[in-house]
Amino acid sequence: MIGPIISSGIVSQAWDNIFAVILGMGFGFALESSGFSSSRKIIGTFFGYDFVVVKVFFTAAIVASMGLLYLSYLGLVDFSLLYIQPTFLTSAIVGGIIMGIGFSMGGFCPGTSLAACAVGRIDGMVFFGGMFIGVFLFSESFPLFENMYYSGSQGAKMINSVFGISPEMFTFFLVLAAVGMFFGAAWVQKKVKKIEY
Amino acid sequence: MERKYTILAVLLIVLALGLVVLPKKKDLKEADPKALLSAITEKSRYLSVDLVTHRIIENDPTLMLIDLRPAKEFKAFALPGAINIQPESLLSVTTLELLNQPGKDKILYANSDLMAEKAWLLGTRYSISRLYILKGGLNEWYNTFIKQGDVSSTASSADLDLLSFRNAARQYFTGAGQTSEAPVAAKTPEKVNVVRKAPVAKSGGGC
Repeated sequence: MIGPIISSGIVSQAWDNIFAVILGMGFGFALESSGFSSSRKIIGTFFGYDFVVVKVFFTAAIVASMGLLYLSYLGLVDFSLLYIQPTFLTSAIVGGIIMGIGFSMGGFCPGTSLAACAVGRIDGMVFFGGMFIGVFLFSESFPLFENMYYSGSQGAKMINSVFGISPEMFTFFLVLAAVGMFFGAAWVQKKVKKIEY
Repeated sequence: MERKYTILAVLLIVLALGLVVLPKKKDLKEADPKALLSAITEKSRYLSVDLVTHRIIENDPTLMLIDLRPAKEFKAFALPGAINIQPESLLSVTTLELLNQPGKDKILYANSDLMAEKAWLLGTRYSISRLYILKGGLNEWYNTFIKQGDVSSTASSADLDLLSFRNAARQYFTGAGQTSEAPVAAKTPEKVNVVRKAPVAKSGGGC
């Protein structure tokens, strides 16, 4: 809960971890109840028989961006109180490729692997173990990667400023892309042989 | 696709279109005079040259140095990573967009505090957050890091640490080789430990 509730002083910093645990439990419950603890469901995106992952991520992105913009317009959220993760271009690209390979090979992302562990799935536990080995190796060899890790620093950059358009216009295009993707995914799913799992 | 999903998709597009067509809010909101007065009387807008230099050396991605001096002086010398903004263009749309970047500490400097103070006041009046002044400006930075400082015989270990940091920073910025400061810095703590404890204790007692 970096912002804006804590940074504006509505709730004290001491509640940060309490919020994190409650939100984490809610997130885990939502993942499990929508079937995200199954690697076969997640991997369905790559084989074209289940697009629920893409639909969920796009829905989250458009609901959050529209919600923030409307709340800001109504004066209920101050953008300057929100923390924006700085962009490190090189490490984002390299990390994205590694994450994509891991995602498609293992059928989990870090969050869903934890949900799978929680319901006792062995593949989830193996993935989770592998993830920790990877984290350990990366931490131990960090000095080797340090320069690459911090290169391409762009600061807290917003994607709409890269395109030179307003956040509202960018969100509009994002919604159009998401809706297009929803219909496109439904069309592909119809064409691909349904897999029972 | 089911009818309910089609309705939801239409609703999303209408909501997104609403964002685009809504009349724009006036972005340049001026600070409340009382808040401005409070900000002026506070000294938290000043960042010491040591702190800023430490952040420069650490490559702090949240640091944005703004050099307010004429372009000619900026080309001759500027702090690493600084952006040159002329005071007359401080309220241009491009500059305000730059200064309104979230997640950045904007640190203003010129040769002294004077111009940075004016720019800070203007920026604060336009509600630009996380705006700071490099205390003493570039002159102070030069005097602290480039000019050789004398070591007082009564220097505390904290002072010696600071001096050691400044010497290291001098080497970082000028590429100057190791000089005789290191042995001096290494010898002085011995004196402090043995002889110069008394002044520190006095000072502590006085507080």
